[in-house]
Amino acid sequence: MRRLAAALALALAAGTAGSHEEHGKGQRMREGADERNASATVDAAGNLWAVVKDAGHIAVHRSADAGRTWSAPKRVTSAPEATDSGGDARPKIAAGPGGEVYVTWTRPLGRPYAGEIRFARSVDGGASFGAPMVVHADRQLITHRFDALAVNAKGQVFVAWIDKRDQEAQRGKGPAYRGAAVYWAVSDDRGASFRGDFKLADYSCECCRIALLPRADGGFDALWRHVFEPNLRDHAMAAMLPEGRAGALSRATFDDWRIDVCPHHGPSLTADASGRRHAVWFSGAAKNPGVFYGRLAENRVEGQRRIGGQTAEHADLAAAGNRLAVAWKEFDGARSRLRALRSDDAGASWQERELAVTSGASGQPAVLVRGGQFLVFWNTRNEPLSVTPLP
Amino acid sequence: MKRILAAALLAATAFGAAAAGPKPFDAQSMAAIRKAEEGRAFIVAFWSVSCEPCRNEMKLLRAAQRSHPALRVHLVAVDPVADAPAIAAFLKRYDPGPAVRWAFADSFAERVRYAVDPAWRGELPRTYLFDRRHIPEVVSGILTQARLEGWIRRR
Repeated sequence: MRRLAAALALALAAGTAGSHEEHGKGQRMREGADERNASATVDAAGNLWAVVKDAGHIAVHRSADAGRTWSAPKRVTSAPEATDSGGDARPKIAAGPGGEVYVTWTRPLGRPYAGEIRFARSVDGGASFGAPMVVHADRQLITHRFDALAVNAKGQVFVAWIDKRDQEAQRGKGPAYRGAAVYWAVSDDRGASFRGDFKLADYSCECCRIALLPRADGGFDALWRHVFEPNLRDHAMAAMLPEGRAGALSRATFDDWRIDVCPHHGPSLTADASGRRHAVWFSGAAKNPGVFYGRLAENRVEGQRRIGGQTAEHADLAAAGNRLAVAWKEFDGARSRLRALRSDDAGASWQERELAVTSGASGQPAVLVRGGQFLVFWNTRNEPLSVTPLP
Repeated sequence: MKRILAAALLAATAFGAAAAGPKPFDAQSMAAIRKAEEGRAFIVAFWSVSCEPCRNEMKLLRAAQRSHPALRVHLVAVDPVADAPAIAAFLKRYDPGPAVRWAFADSFAERVRYAVDPAWRGELPRTYLFDRRHIPEVVSGILTQARLEGWIRRR
């Protein structure tokens, strides 16, 4: 009997040890291969900057040779911290005109859906980063997630995010609020402080990245997945103006995807030399699901075309004059393929090619422009921080 | 003594289940579930702690399991197993009933999704209602009560 009890105790202990080990393994996975969603940008001098999750830290790498080699990671955070990294979430990076490097990310808080947008800056060319701060004035334990970051020509820093303060305020009062809202804040002092929170629009979708495109007036056009009445999850666009005013909202895509869902597929937006806006986005509308490219005109999309096959996802695009490049990833049943489309005539005709293949986990690709040349950044487990020129 | 041991064993089993957290779900798991559920109708529902529409489905699945105790439900969080504390907190708050709980255990999420269904683009909630012959009815977005009840009648 005693032996049985001892065996039981042993089994219990083994069970505990086993689960502990499993947890440890999980932590490693979360801090390593699991968080491949990175972002990259190019500064005025042609350096590439990437922000990644490194052993639980937010960290930055620099490349002076178009991504062939990268510096050791420079940690932005002083201690490891949880970061939103699944689906469409990833840290963001932008460079200012005076050697500034800015980073944002979303830290989940201790309640379902709750998070805060964190920001850190370097004003010495990435040599050191100041302590992270929270961008928004609103400090409720609610959703502030899916940060977007951009710097205008004057050096003003714009941060936009998905925010649920209006949904929370309406809880229990009449009809349910559709989705979330888009808010933003601006820094006029190289990221030392932010003024906001400015509301861009009510009724955004809850879990997709926001695309930003610079405007001539110093503001940014934002493109995001919206929730039009009653549950139509197509895209909307509106301007964030530097003084904190929001421009009029217009519908940007017309796929009629009526659904209550978290797609985790946000759009990308760019403009050619003549100012025409080009976008890529995802729609799950049953009659024609997929990733699409199109030119955003008033109340319609021109030249809409499907990108890639059934498993295409997370497309990005950029423009250099009247040349355009689109990149996305596609899973073939065993490996993920990085594919690209290039147009030399502002989207009238396209050539498709494959840029890379990987057999492990990977983040979302990003199209960068460096000295008029397209580079595709793709952070994969097997080929970290890979950069492929698009010929 | 025997009774005490039985109680201890029961406690050990319960403890083991709690300590283990969600079962690891990888590219082989969907096939394993189908094999284990041979000859039975069952539901596999994918969700995430960051998915707001998903919480509505929890209530619905709880009610359905209560009124149909034989209904088999597998609830798969696409969040990594490392997020077990957040998954547990969510499931405590939006109780889905006695469903079997899983979480993604492969950081190559595309591979896991593809093994479930090549046509699934990762949107959540995503629910597969398998009838007795294992022919699935696929639901993207919130599963409505009417649709679930219709399927329960037909299954």
